[in-house]
Amino acid sequence: MNRFSIGCAALFGMSGVLAGPGIAQEVKQEGKAAAGAATIAPVTQQQLNAADKSSSNFLLTNGNYAQTRFYPAKQIGRDNVKNLHVAWIFQTDVKESLETSPIVVDGVMYVTTSFSHVYALNAKTGEQLWHYNHKMGPITTFCCGPNNRGVQVLGDLVYVATLDSKLVALNAKSGDVVWTADIADPELGYSETMAPTVVKDKVLIGTNGGEYGIRGFVKAYDAKTGKLLWTFNTIPENSVGVWATKDATGRDMHRDIQAEKDQLAKTGDPYQKLGGGVWQNPSVDLATNRIYFVVGNPSPDLDGAVRPGDNLYTDSLVSLDLDSGKYVCHFQYIAHDVWDLDAVSPTVLVDVKGKDGKTIPGVIHAGKTGHLYVNDRKDCSLIRFSEAMVPQENMWVLPTKDGARMLPGANGGVEWSPIATDPSQSLAYAINLHQPMNYFVENSPYPNGKLWLGGAFKTIPSEAQAGNITAVNYDTGKIKWQVKTPQPMIGGILATAGGLVFTGEGNGKFAAYNSSNGKELWSFHAGAGVNAPPSSYMVGGKQYIVVGAGGNTQVDFHRGNNIIAFTLD
Amino acid sequence: MRSMSVRFIVGVMIMGIGVPIGASPSNAQSIAEKAEACAGCHGLDGKPTDKIIPVIWGQQLGYLYIQLRDFKRGDRKNEIMQPIASALEKQEMLDMADYFSKKPWPDLGEPRASKEVSDRALSANRSVGCTGCHLDHFQGDGTVPRLAGMSREYLTKTITDFRTGARANNPGMSGLMLATSPDDLAALAEYLAGL
Repeated sequence: MNRFSIGCAALFGMSGVLAGPGIAQEVKQEGKAAAGAATIAPVTQQQLNAADKSSSNFLLTNGNYAQTRFYPAKQIGRDNVKNLHVAWIFQTDVKESLETSPIVVDGVMYVTTSFSHVYALNAKTGEQLWHYNHKMGPITTFCCGPNNRGVQVLGDLVYVATLDSKLVALNAKSGDVVWTADIADPELGYSETMAPTVVKDKVLIGTNGGEYGIRGFVKAYDAKTGKLLWTFNTIPENSVGVWATKDATGRDMHRDIQAEKDQLAKTGDPYQKLGGGVWQNPSVDLATNRIYFVVGNPSPDLDGAVRPGDNLYTDSLVSLDLDSGKYVCHFQYIAHDVWDLDAVSPTVLVDVKGKDGKTIPGVIHAGKTGHLYVNDRKDCSLIRFSEAMVPQENMWVLPTKDGARMLPGANGGVEWSPIATDPSQSLAYAINLHQPMNYFVENSPYPNGKLWLGGAFKTIPSEAQAGNITAVNYDTGKIKWQVKTPQPMIGGILATAGGLVFTGEGNGKFAAYNSSNGKELWSFHAGAGVNAPPSSYMVGGKQYIVVGAGGNTQVDFHRGNNIIAFTLD
Repeated sequence: MRSMSVRFIVGVMIMGIGVPIGASPSNAQSIAEKAEACAGCHGLDGKPTDKIIPVIWGQQLGYLYIQLRDFKRGDRKNEIMQPIASALEKQEMLDMADYFSKKPWPDLGEPRASKEVSDRALSANRSVGCTGCHLDHFQGDGTVPRLAGMSREYLTKTITDFRTGARANNPGMSGLMLATSPDDLAALAEYLAGL
């Protein structure tokens, strides 16, 4: 059967060969490296701590532990970015949603693809050094694409989390497996698409599964041995909360509190199947030894009747102690969410103006609601929220059997895409989706690890969709500039000290904009959706910008398999 | 059909008990022998003997396993499949699923859908997001089944059964099928069968 793209040959990691005429070559079995070793010096914790100052490496998925996605190199700037051109292209074996943030260490680039492949590449030439083809288990459960968002390196180990809910440590030089840990049972709906965050010999990992009735968590594993150190359940046994009737922006969510209390009396606390996945990397505050992450939606997404209470800590900012995993504080953006407008875009730690105008440590998050939220890092309390970045209509209308229209649609707002920041301008840069949707609700019992939406969300074919790139001042909450794009945006954005932001679109456009006013300064057409966060690095005295162009499953953008690096002459 | 399934069950019981776990040659042979009985409905060459019986040759491994598991649990109801699945242990289910997943998907000879039908199907897909799970060639992966090239009759029956609850082992799919108009669903079935 020739209909499959060549990329599918890589999916069957167990057999390695697809039966049928004309199918391409056998894919290497896991663990055996291709020719070439990736020679890097072991990455130290000191290096990781100072990642925000490194203008040669790109050491973490979002640039540094604060997750600012602000790159300090300035060789590529507003005056010369028009001369940016392709330096090299690497084509992976996997033509499917590409969401990786390339990591660069000493001229070696690590990228991941859908189905949890890892490649080590020469960052100067794009040549493959090794390829890890993960032997996927028989059960994988994913709602939104088989994607992977990247690795992190500590010492001489490369850490990746896999679709079949495992954590794997690879030898950074050869790609051989050093240890594997089972995270949770895929048959119950657990899977991994996020990159791990590695800090102080701990590998931090959340989980997917909020669409499947899991009980979400953040776990910490020993970086050397893979032993589980601590588990934080994102759903406490008492998940009911304070019966909040308004969301963080003060709008009424039309809860029927009495009906919920009656349900609670009948069925008890729903915590065991309440969802609350953690989709993206936590930020790490090294000074206070605390981590900050956001928690996804409750299960089932749309049917709140079966899960009475605020459904803590879904749709919340949460902070833990890094060493113990113990709860420190939280702030819930939306209590008892029935719209899947959960918190997914990763948190960023920046100094912000407090309520009284004094500068304090802050934590910001761009929500599916379309607001940028600014919170106090000390106690998680809300300081302000921005103007809405996308149109909002009929906010908090309840889903119905026949469908109720609301903006934003269930993808947001801002989806999983990390934001970038430029602290010198107090600006946060987010990429947005505008997708009018109808929200349907349909009751069903817990389905044993199957999809449990409690209804459906559908885009409205007669209504146009669009996207934005929005620069928001997080000290004032005002939008500074906004560039409209023809399609909803999902992927990521990078800001640089050269005064630029880089981001891509589903139609293949990858462009650079003036970070102060949004003027487009350069673009390139990649031929497949550029729906991944860009990275930057320097090798041999030259600065590069690198991004994945492989499309996206969730919003159905044209698939590809390219990693493309750009540089000046 | 009934006598076929009784013979199969007896055969499975004789061969299944005490078979060591793992892909030893003798185990592999017994899987192939067990699988022969499936041909009675699912076809000697992978082409089912009736259009309302699904293709299992080349289907996703995880999905085949989950269906066998759900038949045994009673989450999915079917007079013929339930007794068959009930005789299998988890490892045998995984082995059978692995065996059939490696077979080539048969060409059922269904015609390509017209442009009008295809456009309607793809528009419905963009709205509901089928390819978000079934992936962009509807080939599925893991526990999500391949739809491309399945018979129109089986797709139609499955869609209907999800809508009515006759097939109750995936409420998520039931919700999505109920949220989609019957005309869109008919276009999808015709389009997918012709892939």
